[in-house]
Amino acid sequence: MTVIRDVVCPFCGCLCDDLEVTVEGNKIVKTRNTCAISSAKYMHHEENRITAPSVDGREVPLDEAVEAAAEILASARRPLVYGLSSTECGAIAKAVELAELVGGVVDNTASVCHGPTILALQAVGESKCTLGEVKNRADLVIFWGCNPTEAHLRHLIRYSGMPKGLYTPEGRKGRYIVAVDVRETRMKRLADQFLKIEPNGDFELLSALRAAVREVKVQAETVAGVPREQIEALAERMKRVKMGVIFFGLGLTQSDGRHMNIDAAVGLVADLNHHTKFVLTPMRGHYNVAGANTVTAWQTGYPYAVDFSRGYPRYNPGEYTAVDLLARGEADAALIVASDPAAHFPADAARHLARIPVVTLDQKVNMTTMLSKVVIPVATAGVEAEGTAYRMDGVPIRLRKVVEPSDGVLPDAEVLQMIIDRVRALKEGA
Amino acid sequence: MKQIEVVLISGRTAEQGASLEVGKTSERYFNSVAVVELSAADADALGLGEGDPVEVSTPHGSVVVRSRRSEGLDPGLAFFPYGPWANQVFGAHTGGTGMPPFKGVKATLRPAKGEPPTLRELVEALRRESR
Repeated sequence: MTVIRDVVCPFCGCLCDDLEVTVEGNKIVKTRNTCAISSAKYMHHEENRITAPSVDGREVPLDEAVEAAAEILASARRPLVYGLSSTECGAIAKAVELAELVGGVVDNTASVCHGPTILALQAVGESKCTLGEVKNRADLVIFWGCNPTEAHLRHLIRYSGMPKGLYTPEGRKGRYIVAVDVRETRMKRLADQFLKIEPNGDFELLSALRAAVREVKVQAETVAGVPREQIEALAERMKRVKMGVIFFGLGLTQSDGRHMNIDAAVGLVADLNHHTKFVLTPMRGHYNVAGANTVTAWQTGYPYAVDFSRGYPRYNPGEYTAVDLLARGEADAALIVASDPAAHFPADAARHLARIPVVTLDQKVNMTTMLSKVVIPVATAGVEAEGTAYRMDGVPIRLRKVVEPSDGVLPDAEVLQMIIDRVRALKEGA
Repeated sequence: MKQIEVVLISGRTAEQGASLEVGKTSERYFNSVAVVELSAADADALGLGEGDPVEVSTPHGSVVVRSRRSEGLDPGLAFFPYGPWANQVFGAHTGGTGMPPFKGVKATLRPAKGEPPTLRELVEALRRESR
């Protein structure tokens, strides 16, 4: 029995790096310091797995599946490479390389997550810090349109709520926590103040707060359902603290206004920096979605929605983003890595995946693998393979391998390299 | 026939996260996401008991799921966990942003009969409708 310490959890953007995993004969028998989701990931990682590579539902040897994948991608006119946020950076780099080789479009799950955040930050910049700084310095923590009690289960415990830091020696007692949401989640009980906002009212409330911070009198009695007095009191509090942080989620990016909501939040934070230190941080969902953006930006100059059809990278969210490309019926083949767009895209977009040949690299059976022509099982990064991932605040952390994958099951990066080699050979032969 | 108009919000839940790690084909995943949460007042207005089937529909599609009462929701607001059932009713237009409207969407709820479709039935529906 081996106890592996300092294991990094490959589920959400918190990338908690203090897990303990107990392994007995290549089987995970116990975990410590895990949340409910991370514990499920480790303890059930062997269940519902794809048992063998397949083409058209027929089990085949790995090189036959790789050959079929290469033929599909090499002969496609507008292939889409999508997913990437739940695998490690080495695999993401290979996927971008492959997209360039086949003149395709490469997009990652940020496009249905914090894509609008990226759009806003590219336009107006950002004031940011690491989660370590939040822990050590922040005395006002605002959660806006996000719910860490359901999506980032140890965020409050490790970084933003309870821990005692260098300049926050009292831990939870020394922090004022505000939650802004359209519904009363568990955050209502955990926070010192809960603001219930009307759906799609974020831009207005952020703008009213910004006005109040600038000492402009808010005329309306309520803004997006929040009384004027509460807005003014919060604005005063924001200006008074030593350091404030706004963590925000898909409540801002998926509601009306999209990137303009983030624009308003960045503006508020910029105004607050005339009075005190204030930052904002998106609550990134998938554990390496920040890495998918980072690696894609290293290689192409752009973080997502990149088109290689002219031989050089072009960037246009709304056009080269996966949902749009599928909803328009434009893609004629797809390579999906570590994602399930058939389940997580609106059916009007997902339906196109049933019309085109799809190659999927994943661990478990899901809607996308059920629709795919070629399915290749891969090792789980952070459980059965090493690699690097980027935490929600942009800090890269090395993932650990705790057990060996099944015989013949390779990491994403190795399978992608095999496909790249075969695509290259097919293109040279043509 | 009884029906109400609601604003639909989709999102994560811890159980959705944990059950997808068990597997999308697991019963635990089905139980966690083939469900819509609504206020007790709205459930009463529709005559829905806990777990009774309810049809959620928008101009983009409709789906039958189980209903669940939630204390945190005001009347007129409903919550759908992320997943393929929710995605039967959300549109794919992104307004040039890449992001479909997953939150703050108008929908109609009605009492329904029968069980929610299985994952495999949703796959079959995608295949059928793609032809």
